[in-house]
Amino acid sequence: MNPELQRNLWLEATPFRLALIAGLLMLVFLATSVAPMGLATRSGAARTLYWFFAVLWGTRSAALSVVAEIRERTWDGQKLSAIAPWQMVWGKLFGATAANWFGALLCLPFVLLPVWQNQGLAATLTYGIILLSLGVFAQAIALLSSLVLIRRNTGNWRLDIFLCQVAGICAAFAYYTLWERGGSQTLNWWGHAFNLSSFHLVSLLVFLAWALVGCWRAMRAELRVANGPYVWLAYLAYLSFYNAGFQLPVGRHWDIAALYPGEVKLVLAEIALLASAYGMAFLEPKDPVRLRWLGEQLRAGQFYKAFLAADAWMLSYGAALLVGLLLAVVSAALAQPLALPVLAMLGFLTRDVAIFVLMRSIAGAKGDFAALAVLGALYLLLPMIFGGVHSGAWISMFLPFPPSSLGVLLAWAQGAVCAVWAARSIARDQPTAKDAVDQSQ
Amino acid sequence: MMMIEIRDLVFEYPGHRALCGVSLSIAAGSITALVGPNGAGKTTLLRCMAALETPYAGHVAIEGLDTRDAPRAIHARLGYLPDFFGLYDALSVRRCLHYAARAHGIAPHEAAGAAQAAAARVGLADRMEQAAGALSRGLRQRLAIAQAIVHRPAVLLLDEPAAGLDPQARRDLSELLLSLRAGGMTLVVSSHILAELEDYSDRMVIVDHGRIAGGQSIALKAGTHLRIRLAAARGDLKDFLSGQGLTVAEASADHALVTMAGGPPQKAALLAALIQAGFAVMEFSEDTRALEDVYFEQVKSQVESKGAAP
Repeated sequence: MNPELQRNLWLEATPFRLALIAGLLMLVFLATSVAPMGLATRSGAARTLYWFFAVLWGTRSAALSVVAEIRERTWDGQKLSAIAPWQMVWGKLFGATAANWFGALLCLPFVLLPVWQNQGLAATLTYGIILLSLGVFAQAIALLSSLVLIRRNTGNWRLDIFLCQVAGICAAFAYYTLWERGGSQTLNWWGHAFNLSSFHLVSLLVFLAWALVGCWRAMRAELRVANGPYVWLAYLAYLSFYNAGFQLPVGRHWDIAALYPGEVKLVLAEIALLASAYGMAFLEPKDPVRLRWLGEQLRAGQFYKAFLAADAWMLSYGAALLVGLLLAVVSAALAQPLALPVLAMLGFLTRDVAIFVLMRSIAGAKGDFAALAVLGALYLLLPMIFGGVHSGAWISMFLPFPPSSLGVLLAWAQGAVCAVWAARSIARDQPTAKDAVDQSQ
Repeated sequence: MMMIEIRDLVFEYPGHRALCGVSLSIAAGSITALVGPNGAGKTTLLRCMAALETPYAGHVAIEGLDTRDAPRAIHARLGYLPDFFGLYDALSVRRCLHYAARAHGIAPHEAAGAAQAAAARVGLADRMEQAAGALSRGLRQRLAIAQAIVHRPAVLLLDEPAAGLDPQARRDLSELLLSLRAGGMTLVVSSHILAELEDYSDRMVIVDHGRIAGGQSIALKAGTHLRIRLAAARGDLKDFLSGQGLTVAEASADHALVTMAGGPPQKAALLAALIQAGFAVMEFSEDTRALEDVYFEQVKSQVESKGAAP
């Protein structure tokens, strides 16, 4: 047996705990069968308890599987073990949540029984797959979040676990809501009509697979195994392709009907890449020492080495820049109005990523929240102020709309200034021998 | 044969350079003590050796494997006891060791035997069913060491293993380390307690401000440290003592600190020789502070050399 799974089973699935869960569930089901009251029917209670065990409590157990190791100072021992990253991931994912799954699986038959009686076997199987996948998905997202957060080394494990739980719960509820509302509606994706519920189910399974891949990669990094950029690039390609299959929502600043289909696909892909770039720029550590090391590799002409060591936020930024430039070129060639706002937006993206790096360099782990505050001011407060005093022309300094050449210049000027500022800040971080300090983790 | 090779190792935390170009070689089958003030870089050096941290520059190789290129292969070859270690308190000693054995790649059918052997080695064989959380500080330390050696690693790194232990537990620890060395293991031990290092260490490395004081490790000779003081200064004291086959740690015209092997008869013979040679001996005593003197001398010279630098 996977030793990590075994250890977790020893700790989490103790006979006492399992007996307690089974006994309590038996009493709940007995009470709701004998005296159902309103929503408190047996199947309703089972469904609520399934969510409690698999999602609410399960996400906490999954997040704790790594954070508790750090808190209890056993993580170094695990990192030095011979357990492979994937073994470590599934050993934690299913071991730390063993008691949760025990309770959830006891509830599942009572959830599925009325579905089978009313809608037949196919619907029961689909619903069962949805519930099981959502449980694993929520827990995988919580585990992945915890692996990302420990790299940020915030030192506040209670907040970290809460955030991981929130991430897992939100992911599960969002998908469940989408799936439930799907019904018999159809969805047009890449020109093909799909049953909406089926589409959401397949999407969930694919994103679950990506979440597990993410956990595996994050665990590899923790175990000091080099990851390389290719899996993240493949994820970005998938994300762009997935998003590009949908329809562009109606916006104030563009006329969808006037855009060419290929242009629309590029816009949708760019939206996904921008979300990824901003998300990873916020989440990843942006360690100044590592950035300086990467800079030295580039200066030494070791481009491939630097590329192999690039962080996810750098790859996302690069991909967003490339696709954005392609979109601007295509739009300009087709005499479409998107070229200028897209170019301005890329300038703002450069500025914003540089602000994340700069703030991290100045304020350490709290710098990411400082960066969010700065971006909030740049995108909300300053446009409101300038709009309020009727200096509308100055809004181009803060937003890509309305499109103008001056706006593009101003956006890229800000991007360049912030990038240089961030680079200088990282260079200034270089310590002297007098700064030698021993900091054990 | 060198088990650990460190070349020009630089490690940085944001704003701090913890290791500034450390170079060091550690022979196989030796015990090397890392000493130095708090914040000197000892823990960081150990973590770099354990391939738990990636250096900014330079190289660390264990058995010829670079920590940057093959961290997992290195993890399989070593055991590491951090200064603040944790145990799975709810698990029994048997399960802790069984898990450690399996986690270090020992086959399922061999894990129970490996766990039993590791427990026996640290004197926990009679407490296999006791919960780790119920053990005393000293016994927890032993269990942590047992977990680190359960897979019989080639290299064992221990960060402040004697901290918080009572005198008997420290003596037991010394004996355990010597027995592990006798079994062919290479040990690196970080410690503040200089007096005990002589009991088991072959070499001492003084780490200060991210550098190795004196630039290299210092051999610790087994034997007694003797302090000799003269009532009348004699310029040939050092030469005389060297001529007796003694290692002279420090010497001036009126005093000397020497290391000598042997027991009371050899000491009596040395005293007789000194008197016979006309030295006016007024003090002839064992010096338990000898290692500390060497340590402070090295640290002081490092500080002075820094002060002299432009």
